Amino acid sequence: MDLGLKGKRVVIPASTKGILRRVVDQLVDEGCDVAICSRSEDTVARALRELSGGKGTAIGRACDVNNKEDYEAWLEEMAEQLGGVDIFVPGVSAGGGADSERNWWKSFEVDVLSTVRGCEVLIPHMKESGGGAITFITTTASVETFGGPQAYNAMKGSLLVYAKQLSQEVGRDGIRVNCVSPGPIYFEGGVWQMLKDTMAKWFAKVEKDHPSGRLGTPEEVSNCVLFISSPAASWVSGTNLIVDGGFTKRVQF
Amino acid sequence: MKVIRKNKIVRSDPEANPNGTPMERTPEAELGSSVIPKERYTSKEFMQKEWDSIWSKVWLLGCREDQIPEPGDYICTNIGKESVLIVRQHNGGFKAFHNVCMHRGNRLADEGVGHANPFVCGYHGWKYGSDGTFVDIPDLETFPQGKPPCSGLSELPCDTWASFVWFSLNTEVEPLKEYLGELIGHFEPYHFERMAMTRWVTAEWNCNWKAAVDAFAESYHTAQTHPQLLWYLEDLDLQIDLYDRHSRYLVPFGLLSPRVDSVGEIPPPLKAMLRGAGIDPASYEGSMNDIRVAVQQYKRATQEEQGKDFSELHDEQLTDDYNYLVFPNVTTNTHSDDLMLFRHRPHPEDPNKMLFDIWMFELIPEGEEWPPLPEHDFRPAGSTRSLGMVIDQDASNLATVQQGMNSAGFNGLWLSDQELRLRHFHKTITEYVGE
Repeated sequence: MDLGLKGKRVVIPASTKGILRRVVDQLVDEGCDVAICSRSEDTVARALRELSGGKGTAIGRACDVNNKEDYEAWLEEMAEQLGGVDIFVPGVSAGGGADSERNWWKSFEVDVLSTVRGCEVLIPHMKESGGGAITFITTTASVETFGGPQAYNAMKGSLLVYAKQLSQEVGRDGIRVNCVSPGPIYFEGGVWQMLKDTMAKWFAKVEKDHPSGRLGTPEEVSNCVLFISSPAASWVSGTNLIVDGGFTKRVQF
Repeated sequence: MKVIRKNKIVRSDPEANPNGTPMERTPEAELGSSVIPKERYTSKEFMQKEWDSIWSKVWLLGCREDQIPEPGDYICTNIGKESVLIVRQHNGGFKAFHNVCMHRGNRLADEGVGHANPFVCGYHGWKYGSDGTFVDIPDLETFPQGKPPCSGLSELPCDTWASFVWFSLNTEVEPLKEYLGELIGHFEPYHFERMAMTRWVTAEWNCNWKAAVDAFAESYHTAQTHPQLLWYLEDLDLQIDLYDRHSRYLVPFGLLSPRVDSVGEIPPPLKAMLRGAGIDPASYEGSMNDIRVAVQQYKRATQEEQGKDFSELHDEQLTDDYNYLVFPNVTTNTHSDDLMLFRHRPHPEDPNKMLFDIWMFELIPEGEEWPPLPEHDFRPAGSTRSLGMVIDQDASNLATVQQGMNSAGFNGLWLSDQELRLRHFHKTITEYVGE
């Protein structure tokens, strides 16, 4: 099946590692031009080196997604350099934690506000391109109780609400908005590698709670992000795709 | 496990606190690379040599001073086949005695703490004062030879250091301060006397006592045995200091091991360290590897309001683990807010067994009430109750290490530079045992 991604122009902030990096890799391999960033200049430079010579082109520079001016400038720059935007995949997060009220502010600023800002800057560009796809990377921790009550679960949950309602607003412009909610995903350098070492018992329980007895891989999430963001998913909008190998136990009617 | 970077470790300026714990690195030692014969861990003959040349000759740790606060309070502690009474005196000092009635050799007390003024032998009722002297010998007139020519219990050398009471089975032993040598001055800045004993456990382990010492004197096993600690400390670039008979290494806490990279979230052990110091982890904006210095600075700045006096400690001691071996059998994880002390005792007969003592202490802020002294908690061999995650992880290796050492397929220990303290430990043992 041809996903129809070739030649698409994609913006993916905070994407030099993990799931989002895998999305970038696959998109470049499909022939997309992709704009990336991370806080560290070295990290971006290394990623661009690794991505060079693919079917598509990767561009980017260091940018602090949490800094409104810096982030909005980066978005505009990338839109200009790409010559327009067809796909936007925001998935940056302040991560988990229930230490203090500060967790709530951080999750709001990093997870929610940067996503909203990204949509507001890029939607006009997508309209100009005649449509496109926005795919939020959310989490199964919003749809089932997980890891204790905390800002991460609730704030990512607010993005599910925002995505759905945004999809109603921009559908008429040919822009689809969806969420992909991964369950626990394991990779070297990821949070679950750290939790495997530091919270071994809990990690083993989470592993066992998966019907297949293992955590997911970035590739398994990325495959779904590519599909739902591609023209092949033209009739999918306003949905939340759970990608968790059956980890969550609720019935989704 | 691969090493992915070299950590930049900020060291304190020793000149800023010239009376603090010495920080100097000891000169490079040439200890060779030979195999350490396994018989040192498995043979009864070597065990006997250790008794003759080490246990009966050196200074040994007896108890904390405050475990026996009142005159007549005593602790009975066993070492090998010997048993020793340490008794608080009326003048506030301490005396140590063989735990043996001079009449027919009965033990006067069982292991543990108690109060006895006088000690009464349970067999015929001979009585001894807290200073060990005869108080009463029932029916003395029926001993035609009179009472024994001594004044009472058989006394042993006894002295104190760093809030602890030490004894020796060797009446000719050098003064304690001489025995401790270069270590004098190392512990004093921590003021252990401001720390309350919170845990007192003895576990029977199925390994030689030296195998347990080994587990606390090298960091090479961290990656495989304690993977959670890779998210909390430096396990590779450690200052190793080898003294006359003692040794230490300095383990920086509060940063990621060079074997792992930041995953963007503060790992739970580092969060606990921040919280413990009084810093909200969610408000910490720096990098993972700067947590160490941030905690040092915060503890230094807030020590007064936290009721803690760290004025004699270097900044790095506010986070790091100064990890000592006081020869032959005391290992410490020395920290500004707590002390984890382990005493590794040989089994009376079997080189394949030992007694592992856990003594835990916590700094009590000025003006706060001290907790009551902990009860002695004994864990016989085979007990499955947890001793704490890290110790459980170590213990899980030791029984199988001992089994393997007894195998015909194993000759001895093949050591790396990361295990230099083990080589030095064996060099010291060789100097005592003579082989």
